[in-house]
Amino acid sequence: MDWYPLYNSLRIALIAGVVVFFTGIFAAYYVAKLNRVAKGILDVVLTLPMVLPPTVAGYFLLLVLGTKRPVGAWFLERFGVKLVMNWYSGVFAAVVVAFPLMYRTARGAFESFDETLSYAGQTLGLSGTYIFWRIRMPYCRQGILAGAVLAFARALGEYGATTMVAGYTPGKTATISTTVYHLWRTGNEALAFWWVMVNMAISAVVLLTVNMLERKKK
Amino acid sequence: MKRQWGRMMAGMAILGLLCGCGASGGGTEETFARGRQETRALTDISGADQAKGEGGDGQTKTLTVFAAASLTETLTEIASMYREIRPDVELIFTFDSSGTLKTQIQEGADCDIFISAAQKQMDWLDGAAGAEVNPWGLDLVLEGTRLDLLENKVVLAVPDDNPAGVDGFEDLGGDGVGLISIGNEDVPVGAYSLEILTSLGILEQLEEESKLTYGSNVKEVTTQVKEGTVDCGIIYATDALGAGLTVADEAEEGWCRQVIYPAAVLKDSKEQEEAKAFLAYLSGSDAMAVFEAAGFSPIK
Repeated sequence: MDWYPLYNSLRIALIAGVVVFFTGIFAAYYVAKLNRVAKGILDVVLTLPMVLPPTVAGYFLLLVLGTKRPVGAWFLERFGVKLVMNWYSGVFAAVVVAFPLMYRTARGAFESFDETLSYAGQTLGLSGTYIFWRIRMPYCRQGILAGAVLAFARALGEYGATTMVAGYTPGKTATISTTVYHLWRTGNEALAFWWVMVNMAISAVVLLTVNMLERKKK
Repeated sequence: MKRQWGRMMAGMAILGLLCGCGASGGGTEETFARGRQETRALTDISGADQAKGEGGDGQTKTLTVFAAASLTETLTEIASMYREIRPDVELIFTFDSSGTLKTQIQEGADCDIFISAAQKQMDWLDGAAGAEVNPWGLDLVLEGTRLDLLENKVVLAVPDDNPAGVDGFEDLGGDGVGLISIGNEDVPVGAYSLEILTSLGILEQLEEESKLTYGSNVKEVTTQVKEGTVDCGIIYATDALGAGLTVADEAEEGWCRQVIYPAAVLKDSKEQEEAKAFLAYLSGSDAMAVFEAAGFSPIK
């Protein structure tokens, strides 16, 4: 039994989860402060990957990261690094697709935050950073954690964009989802079923976590 | 009150339409018909004019051809040539993967000529083929009409600048080659690729080094080579030519099975003589020139 797809999937989802956690929170925080027009436009742009098919995200990623495309060509020439068809290419795909989940949930949490708490902090002479990390974040903890778990789960299950930018190379870019598809296409149903079970187990744990977080909220 | 009546009438009209569609045949048949109409629109631009020119005396005969997707461009071109010499024959094409076409024929689709991209699908329908390749014992091919029409070559294609400096299949085991794209074993060209790598004795080594990336059809492999995301890919000569890719090497005889496109007239055809005539035209020199220009080889 080759465990590489599990390792690779978890690695991609964890890295993407961390990246999305911070970028999602900061995007949510700053977009909420903008004026209405800018907020409306940015909100659409940042949420778009959630409603688009992942293949569209994959297409745009290839347009930017491909070896003959602007960013991809520059990286290849400058550092000799190929941004596509490597295991970390899956991270780009997962980040783009999972970002809106974190962003939306964090924004929802921030919007329910009672701003008088932040003003109270200011009257006590606390710094903006302190207020953000020690008052706002703990207050919105459940929503933000739920968003992070959802984003992680979405990153773990990413298939469409991943298969386009990372392909399916056993032992290199193979993830659980691409492995299931490959095994099914090539008639190896027994092993495909096994990986399906692995994936279901992970997803069940993730959903349980979300439910527990939400119950605590009440 | 009036408004409600209007709504009810509209609802009934929609219901009637739905029932009408349901009665006119199964979903697949409709899809066929739609596909055919589209193909007709593409291939038969001047069809309307000709029908007018013929007037009432010449009856137009219709031939339905099911052909492998890789023949789309060539057959469309040959069809327009055939129309010049036989304006009374209307050709309707359905292009799809050979496996899909085989299933549709098996399910009773109207089809006069079948051209498959591999022997496997033709064998499945041919009563003359052995039980091991025709497990259902289908007998749909008209005796004496099956022939090997074309050969396609399996080639090693590289991106324009050939960054890894791949010159031949023998180089694939070397350190200079990073990623090789092939079809998975479900894709015909992928099966051939695995045979070639096995013949060269480098399949296991490449698998261990994680140098093989699997596409789910030949076009995906072609795109990966074209975009330079892989160092090389194993595809058909026709796909390489169509995409303007550099061919570094051609698979030698004996490395893998020959890639043969068989063609045959089907038993249920109502225009068997016309179908035979078109098949003969396809094997003739005029049609073969079009096939060869696209990268196919005639059967020697």
